Amino acid sequence: MNAPTDRAVTLDQTGADQLSDAVISGLTALIRAQTPRARDIRLERLVRSAGGLSRENWRLDASWTDARGTHSHELMLMRDASGTLLETERDREFAVLSALAHSDVPTPRAHWADPDGRYLGAPSIVMDRMPGQCDYLVLNGSAPIEARLALAQRFLDVLARIHAFDWRAAGLGASLGEPQGKPSSVELAHWTRVYQRVRLEPHPELDYIHAWLSAREPEAEAVVLVHGDFKPGNALVENGRITAKLDWETAHLGDPLEDLGWITNPVRRREHQIADHWEREQIVAGYRTLTGRMVNEHHLTWWNVFSNWKLAVIQLTAIAEFVAGRYDRVFQTPSWLYRPMFQMMERAS
Amino acid sequence: MRPDMGEQMEGTCRILEQVVAPCVNDPFARTILDNLVANLRMLAGAMPGVAAFLRDDNQASAALLATLQATLSPELAQRVADTLAKPAPDAADSKALDVRNTALRTLLSEAICSPGLTPAHHQAIRSHLSERAARVPMRYVPTVAAKPAGNAPNVTSPHNAHAT
Repeated sequence: MNAPTDRAVTLDQTGADQLSDAVISGLTALIRAQTPRARDIRLERLVRSAGGLSRENWRLDASWTDARGTHSHELMLMRDASGTLLETERDREFAVLSALAHSDVPTPRAHWADPDGRYLGAPSIVMDRMPGQCDYLVLNGSAPIEARLALAQRFLDVLARIHAFDWRAAGLGASLGEPQGKPSSVELAHWTRVYQRVRLEPHPELDYIHAWLSAREPEAEAVVLVHGDFKPGNALVENGRITAKLDWETAHLGDPLEDLGWITNPVRRREHQIADHWEREQIVAGYRTLTGRMVNEHHLTWWNVFSNWKLAVIQLTAIAEFVAGRYDRVFQTPSWLYRPMFQMMERAS
Repeated sequence: MRPDMGEQMEGTCRILEQVVAPCVNDPFARTILDNLVANLRMLAGAMPGVAAFLRDDNQASAALLATLQATLSPELAQRVADTLAKPAPDAADSKALDVRNTALRTLLSEAICSPGLTPAHHQAIRSHLSERAARVPMRYVPTVAAKPAGNAPNVTSPHNAHAT
């Protein structure tokens, strides 16, 4: 076997050079470790994007040669931010993307993962950079209503395909862990642990809502692959076509209503819904048609409330990380989420 | 005292926006800067109302706890009684008001999840918590980054706060 002969690492110097150099050297080491036959590794045009709240995003072009020839890829490196907001595991995300690579769900191809940050200093994953634009308000943009409705239907199609994915055949049960007990109980328990760890002061509102959720954990109609953060802001769209569903770091096996509860959540209607055309009723009807599932309305409301409670906990995480000096954006107590949750609880009672 | 706190914070925002921001070319750093300036401007508007908010919330929280007291366990009811018996802090002492607020809300967290509450209690609890949420002076200010191409998530997209 030829020894790797890495060289010619070039980099557009746009500031933060030391950080960029560390990413280049770390990524090179990662490639060497996981693609041992790779040589002539070139990593170029590294630029940090204004990325998400939970991780840094780096764009770069890469080429390398191995036994199968020379490869050139436009890549994205996603690295956990120093004060990450989400407990995620890159090996889980890598497993999901690898499994979905052979499915009808549009996803980027994942190349390498550094789940413990051994090479890149923080848990990371490297995947193909896909074409398209990311616009979290695309369903309420300037495009004609017919085009936006068609896109909304395509988003729902993608969600149905994710939920139809045969995770057992793909071996994802071992990677993600099958829920022991009701998926609603598992998810609530998980986020309760996060809540108890990150809260810096009493939040009677969240405790009250948590008690309501605990008393009403619904049964699941099925156990499916759940995206965990399904929204237009986690997708790329090009010419009305969804080219990639992104951000699988919170994917898990669970209740399909978890994703459906996320997109029918009234608090996030500007992202997921189109007033008078594509609201809860139409989304649920479309989902029933696509999947053949019943969709219990009371259960869906539970997941609506849960999605906001979880969102509140994520924001408390941001506050805790900011106060600890590990996170560089300022958040406030998510009081704007409380009233919608109380209203949903009252309607469900 | 001039410049007063509001003038100093507003002036700081103006300088950051007009002098510093145009020199920040890195999109990530610019997004962070925009968020900080927006938050500073929010603080400038909110700070004068914080003490009054805490004073009013302490009164409302104490009143709700007193309403619930009879349905609580003896141990919790006693802690509520002990806390309510303490004198209210000076209305101008924001720190003391905050400490009192934390003590009252700690008790509320337990009390409002107690068994045996009546529908009327629940109505009063939701009313109190909703009204408080509507009056909280410090609020997250979302800032919008340029839309990136490729699979770099929009800065405002992941798990963010889009108040509707």
